[in-house]
Amino acid sequence: MTSIRHARAARLLGGLLLGGVAAGALAHHGWSGYDADKPLNLTGRIEASGYEHPHGFVRLQTPEKTWNVVLAPPYRMENRGLPRELLAPGNEVTVYGYPHRTNADEMRAERITVGGKTVDLR
Amino acid sequence: MHEPVGPALLVWLETSGFAQAMRQWLWLYPIVEIVHIGGIVLLVGGAAMFDLRLLGLGRTLSVRRLARLLLPWSVVGLALVAATGLMMFTAHATEFWVNPAFAVKMSLIVLAGLNAALFHRGIYRTVATWDVDLPPPPRARFAAAASLALWLGAISGGRLIAYL
Repeated sequence: MTSIRHARAARLLGGLLLGGVAAGALAHHGWSGYDADKPLNLTGRIEASGYEHPHGFVRLQTPEKTWNVVLAPPYRMENRGLPRELLAPGNEVTVYGYPHRTNADEMRAERITVGGKTVDLR
Repeated sequence: MHEPVGPALLVWLETSGFAQAMRQWLWLYPIVEIVHIGGIVLLVGGAAMFDLRLLGLGRTLSVRRLARLLLPWSVVGLALVAATGLMMFTAHATEFWVNPAFAVKMSLIVLAGLNAALFHRGIYRTVATWDVDLPPPPRARFAAAASLALWLGAISGGRLIAYL
Protein backbone atom coordinates (compact mmCIF):
# COMPACT_ATOMS: atom_id res chain seq x y z
CA MET A 1 0.00 0.00 0.00
CA THR A 2 2.71 2.41 1.00
CA SER A 3 4.85 1.56 -2.00
CA ILE A 4 1.90 2.12 -4.35
CA ARG A 5 1.33 5.55 -2.85
CA HIS A 6 5.04 6.27 -3.05
CA ALA A 7 5.08 5.29 -6.70
CA ARG A 8 2.07 7.50 -7.37
CA ALA A 9 3.66 10.47 -5.62
CA ALA A 10 6.95 9.89 -7.41
CA ARG A 11 5.17 9.70 -10.78
CA LEU A 12 3.34 12.92 -10.04
CA LEU A 13 6.53 14.71 -9.02
CA GLY A 14 8.37 13.32 -12.04
CA GLY A 15 5.63 14.61 -14.33
CA LEU A 16 5.80 18.05 -12.79
CA LEU A 17 9.58 18.17 -13.15
CA LEU A 18 9.41 17.08 -16.79
CA GLY A 19 6.82 19.75 -17.44
CA GLY A 20 9.11 22.36 -15.95
CA VAL A 21 12.08 21.23 -18.03
CA ALA A 22 9.97 21.25 -21.21
CA ALA A 23 8.79 24.79 -20.46
CA GLY A 24 12.42 25.83 -20.00
CA ALA A 25 13.53 24.19 -23.24
CA LEU A 26 10.89 26.08 -25.24
CA ALA A 27 12.20 29.41 -24.02
CA HIS A 28 14.26 31.77 -26.09
CA HIS A 29 17.93 31.55 -25.55
CA GLY A 30 19.52 34.89 -24.78
CA TRP A 31 20.86 35.17 -28.33
CA SER A 32 18.05 33.56 -30.29
CA GLY A 33 16.18 36.85 -30.59
CA TYR A 34 19.03 37.98 -32.85
CA ASP A 35 19.61 36.81 -36.39
CA ALA A 36 23.13 35.35 -36.61
CA ASP A 37 22.65 34.80 -40.36
CA LYS A 38 22.80 38.55 -40.93
CA PRO A 39 25.94 39.71 -39.16
CA LEU A 40 26.56 43.44 -39.10
CA ASN A 41 29.72 45.45 -38.80
CA LEU A 42 28.82 48.95 -37.72
CA THR A 43 31.05 51.93 -37.08
CA GLY A 44 29.77 55.08 -35.51
CA ARG A 45 29.87 57.55 -32.70
CA ILE A 46 28.47 56.84 -29.23
CA GLU A 47 25.44 59.03 -28.58
CA ALA A 48 24.70 57.62 -25.13
CA SER A 49 25.71 54.55 -23.20
CA GLY A 50 24.81 52.56 -20.10
CA TYR A 51 27.13 50.44 -17.99
CA GLU A 52 24.16 48.61 -16.54
CA HIS A 53 22.61 45.34 -15.43
CA PRO A 54 21.65 43.07 -16.98
CA HIS A 55 23.56 44.28 -20.10
CA GLY A 56 25.45 47.41 -20.98
CA PHE A 57 24.44 49.24 -24.16
CA VAL A 58 25.45 52.04 -26.48
CA ARG A 59 23.28 54.16 -28.71
CA LEU A 60 25.42 54.17 -31.82
CA GLN A 61 25.06 56.92 -34.37
CA THR A 62 25.92 55.59 -37.83
CA PRO A 63 25.52 57.36 -41.17
CA GLU A 64 22.24 55.48 -41.81
CA LYS A 65 20.58 55.55 -38.40
CA THR A 66 21.03 55.28 -34.67
CA TRP A 67 21.30 51.72 -33.34
CA ASN A 68 20.64 50.43 -29.86
CA VAL A 69 23.56 48.08 -29.38
CA VAL A 70 23.26 45.53 -26.56
CA LEU A 71 26.62 44.70 -24.99
CA ALA A 72 27.43 42.41 -22.04
CA PRO A 73 26.93 42.40 -18.25
CA PRO A 74 28.96 45.24 -16.70
CA TYR A 75 31.31 43.09 -14.66
CA ARG A 76 32.19 41.00 -17.71
CA MET A 77 32.96 44.14 -19.70
CA GLU A 78 35.18 45.49 -16.95
CA ASN A 79 36.87 42.14 -16.52
CA ARG A 80 37.70 41.91 -20.23
CA GLY A 81 39.18 45.38 -20.40
CA LEU A 82 36.22 47.50 -21.47
CA PRO A 83 35.89 49.98 -18.59
CA ARG A 84 33.01 52.42 -18.56
CA GLU A 85 35.26 55.31 -19.74
CA LEU A 86 35.75 53.64 -23.13
CA LEU A 87 31.99 53.86 -23.68
CA ALA A 88 31.86 57.61 -23.11
CA PRO A 89 29.58 59.55 -25.48
CA GLY A 90 31.50 60.93 -28.46
CA ASN A 91 33.86 57.96 -28.73
CA GLU A 92 34.16 56.22 -32.08
CA VAL A 93 33.47 52.47 -31.91
CA THR A 94 33.00 49.52 -34.24
CA VAL A 95 30.72 46.65 -33.27
CA TYR A 96 30.28 43.26 -34.88
CA GLY A 97 27.00 41.55 -34.07
CA TYR A 98 23.53 40.53 -35.10
CA PRO A 99 20.32 42.48 -35.68
CA HIS A 100 17.27 41.82 -33.53
CA ARG A 101 14.64 39.79 -35.36
CA THR A 102 11.80 42.20 -34.62
CA ASN A 103 13.22 45.49 -33.27
CA ALA A 104 14.66 47.13 -36.35
CA ASP A 105 16.97 49.47 -34.41
CA GLU A 106 18.43 46.89 -32.03
CA MET A 107 21.50 44.71 -32.46
CA ARG A 108 23.54 42.60 -30.07
CA ALA A 109 27.30 42.89 -30.26
CA GLU A 110 29.54 39.85 -30.33
CA ARG A 111 32.58 42.11 -30.06
CA ILE A 112 33.39 45.76 -29.89
CA THR A 113 36.43 47.75 -31.00
CA VAL A 114 37.11 51.03 -29.26
CA GLY A 115 40.30 53.04 -28.89
CA GLY A 116 42.25 50.44 -30.90
CA LYS A 117 41.17 47.65 -28.57
CA THR A 118 38.85 44.76 -29.46
CA VAL A 119 36.87 43.09 -26.69
CA ASP A 120 34.78 39.91 -26.98
CA LEU A 121 31.44 40.33 -25.29
CA ARG A 122 29.95 36.83 -25.48
CA MET B 1 18.28 50.59 -22.72
CA HIS B 2 14.55 50.10 -22.18
CA GLU B 3 12.96 53.54 -21.98
CA PRO B 4 11.12 54.10 -18.68
CA VAL B 5 7.63 54.43 -20.15
CA GLY B 6 4.50 53.26 -18.35
CA PRO B 7 2.41 53.96 -15.24
CA ALA B 8 3.73 56.99 -13.34
CA LEU B 9 4.50 55.05 -10.17
CA LEU B 10 6.63 52.57 -12.12
CA VAL B 11 8.48 55.33 -13.96
CA TRP B 12 9.16 56.98 -10.62
CA LEU B 13 10.46 53.69 -9.18
CA GLU B 14 12.66 52.98 -12.18
CA THR B 15 14.19 56.45 -12.27
CA SER B 16 14.84 56.55 -8.52
CA GLY B 17 18.38 56.68 -7.16
CA PHE B 18 17.99 53.20 -5.76
CA ALA B 19 16.96 51.77 -9.13
CA GLN B 20 19.98 53.43 -10.74
CA ALA B 21 22.23 51.92 -8.10
CA MET B 22 20.71 48.51 -8.79
CA ARG B 23 21.49 48.87 -12.49
CA GLN B 24 24.88 50.51 -12.23
CA TRP B 25 26.69 49.18 -9.17
CA LEU B 26 28.71 46.23 -10.33
CA TRP B 27 27.94 43.93 -7.41
CA LEU B 28 24.57 45.01 -6.04
CA TYR B 29 22.40 43.30 -8.66
CA PRO B 30 24.24 39.95 -8.51
CA ILE B 31 24.15 39.95 -4.69
CA VAL B 32 20.41 40.63 -4.72
CA GLU B 33 19.92 37.82 -7.25
CA ILE B 34 21.90 35.41 -5.06
CA VAL B 35 19.84 36.25 -1.97
CA HIS B 36 16.68 35.89 -4.08
CA ILE B 37 17.71 32.36 -5.08
CA GLY B 38 18.59 31.51 -1.46
CA GLY B 39 15.13 32.72 -0.48
CA ILE B 40 13.55 30.51 -3.15
CA VAL B 41 15.43 27.52 -1.75
CA LEU B 42 14.04 28.13 1.75
CA LEU B 43 10.51 29.00 0.62
CA VAL B 44 9.95 26.41 -2.09
CA GLY B 45 12.26 23.81 -0.54
CA GLY B 46 10.32 23.85 2.73
CA ALA B 47 6.97 23.93 0.95
CA ALA B 48 7.94 21.09 -1.41
CA MET B 49 9.16 18.81 1.40
CA PHE B 50 5.95 19.45 3.31
CA ASP B 51 3.97 18.79 0.12
CA LEU B 52 5.68 15.43 -0.33
CA ARG B 53 4.66 14.47 3.19
CA LEU B 54 1.08 15.54 2.40
CA LEU B 55 1.17 13.40 -0.74
CA GLY B 56 1.83 10.42 1.49
CA LEU B 57 5.62 10.08 1.51
CA GLY B 58 7.41 9.67 4.87
CA ARG B 59 4.17 8.74 6.62
CA THR B 60 6.00 7.78 9.82
CA LEU B 61 6.89 11.46 10.31
CA SER B 62 4.38 13.61 12.16
CA VAL B 63 2.84 16.19 9.82
CA ARG B 64 2.57 18.71 12.65
CA ARG B 65 6.19 18.31 13.75
CA LEU B 66 7.38 18.56 10.16
CA ALA B 67 5.30 21.71 9.72
CA ARG B 68 6.87 23.18 12.85
CA LEU B 69 10.35 22.75 11.37
CA LEU B 70 9.73 23.60 7.71
CA LEU B 71 7.08 26.27 7.55
CA PRO B 72 8.81 28.99 9.63
CA TRP B 73 11.81 28.66 7.29
CA SER B 74 9.49 28.99 4.33
CA VAL B 75 8.24 32.25 5.83
CA VAL B 76 11.85 33.45 6.20
CA GLY B 77 12.37 32.53 2.54
CA LEU B 78 9.23 34.43 1.57
CA ALA B 79 10.52 37.55 3.33
CA LEU B 80 13.85 37.27 1.47
CA VAL B 81 12.32 36.74 -1.97
CA ALA B 82 9.78 39.53 -1.45
CA ALA B 83 12.43 42.06 -0.40
CA THR B 84 14.96 41.14 -3.10
CA GLY B 85 12.21 40.71 -5.69
CA LEU B 86 10.99 44.23 -5.03
CA MET B 87 14.57 45.50 -5.40
CA MET B 88 14.95 43.85 -8.80
CA PHE B 89 11.49 44.99 -9.86
CA THR B 90 12.45 48.57 -8.99
CA ALA B 91 15.48 48.42 -11.30
CA HIS B 92 13.36 47.47 -14.34
CA ALA B 93 9.82 48.29 -13.22
CA THR B 94 8.28 49.36 -16.53
CA GLU B 95 9.97 46.49 -18.38
CA PHE B 96 8.77 43.84 -15.90
CA TRP B 97 5.30 45.33 -15.91
CA VAL B 98 4.77 44.40 -19.56
CA ASN B 99 6.70 41.10 -19.43
CA PRO B 100 4.28 38.17 -19.85
CA ALA B 101 6.53 35.78 -17.89
CA PHE B 102 6.49 38.20 -14.95
CA ALA B 103 2.68 38.37 -15.07
CA VAL B 104 2.43 34.57 -15.11
CA LYS B 105 4.93 34.26 -12.28
CA MET B 106 3.15 36.75 -10.02
CA SER B 107 -0.25 35.17 -10.75
CA LEU B 108 1.07 31.72 -9.84
CA ILE B 109 2.57 33.07 -6.60
CA VAL B 110 -0.80 34.58 -5.65
CA LEU B 111 -2.50 31.25 -6.42
CA ALA B 112 0.13 29.35 -4.40
CA GLY B 113 -0.51 31.72 -1.47
CA LEU B 114 -4.29 31.25 -1.73
CA ASN B 115 -3.83 27.48 -1.95
CA ALA B 116 -1.69 27.50 1.21
CA ALA B 117 -4.16 29.76 3.05
CA LEU B 118 -7.12 27.55 2.09
CA PHE B 119 -5.20 24.47 3.17
CA HIS B 120 -4.28 25.88 6.58
CA ARG B 121 -7.76 27.26 7.22
CA GLY B 122 -9.39 24.12 5.83
CA ILE B 123 -8.35 20.48 5.92
CA TYR B 124 -5.26 21.18 8.05
CA ARG B 125 -7.54 21.88 11.01
CA THR B 126 -8.27 18.14 11.11
CA VAL B 127 -4.57 17.18 11.05
CA ALA B 128 -4.77 15.58 14.50
CA THR B 129 -6.74 12.72 12.94
CA TRP B 130 -4.13 11.96 10.22
CA ASP B 131 -0.95 13.35 11.77
CA VAL B 132 1.15 10.19 11.56
CA ASP B 133 1.09 6.68 10.02
CA LEU B 134 -2.15 7.37 8.13
CA PRO B 135 -2.82 8.38 4.54
CA PRO B 136 -3.43 12.13 4.31
CA PRO B 137 -7.00 12.97 3.19
CA PRO B 138 -7.55 13.62 -0.54
CA ARG B 139 -8.05 17.34 0.02
CA ALA B 140 -4.62 17.60 1.66
CA ARG B 141 -3.06 15.65 -1.20
CA PHE B 142 -4.77 17.83 -3.75
CA ALA B 143 -3.48 20.98 -2.01
CA ALA B 144 0.03 19.49 -1.96
CA ALA B 145 -0.03 18.60 -5.66
CA ALA B 146 -1.36 22.07 -6.50
CA SER B 147 1.34 23.66 -4.35
CA LEU B 148 4.13 21.75 -6.12
CA ALA B 149 2.76 22.61 -9.55
CA LEU B 150 2.23 26.28 -8.69
CA TRP B 151 5.69 26.77 -7.18
CA LEU B 152 7.43 25.01 -10.07
CA GLY B 153 5.42 27.20 -12.42
CA ALA B 154 6.37 30.33 -10.48
CA ILE B 155 10.06 29.40 -10.65
CA SER B 156 9.77 28.74 -14.39
CA GLY B 157 7.99 32.05 -14.94
CA GLY B 158 10.61 33.89 -12.93
CA ARG B 159 13.50 32.41 -14.86
CA LEU B 160 11.82 33.10 -18.20
CA ILE B 161 11.47 36.84 -17.47
CA ALA B 162 15.00 37.24 -18.84
CA TYR B 163 14.12 35.45 -22.08
CA LEU B 164 10.85 37.15 -23.11
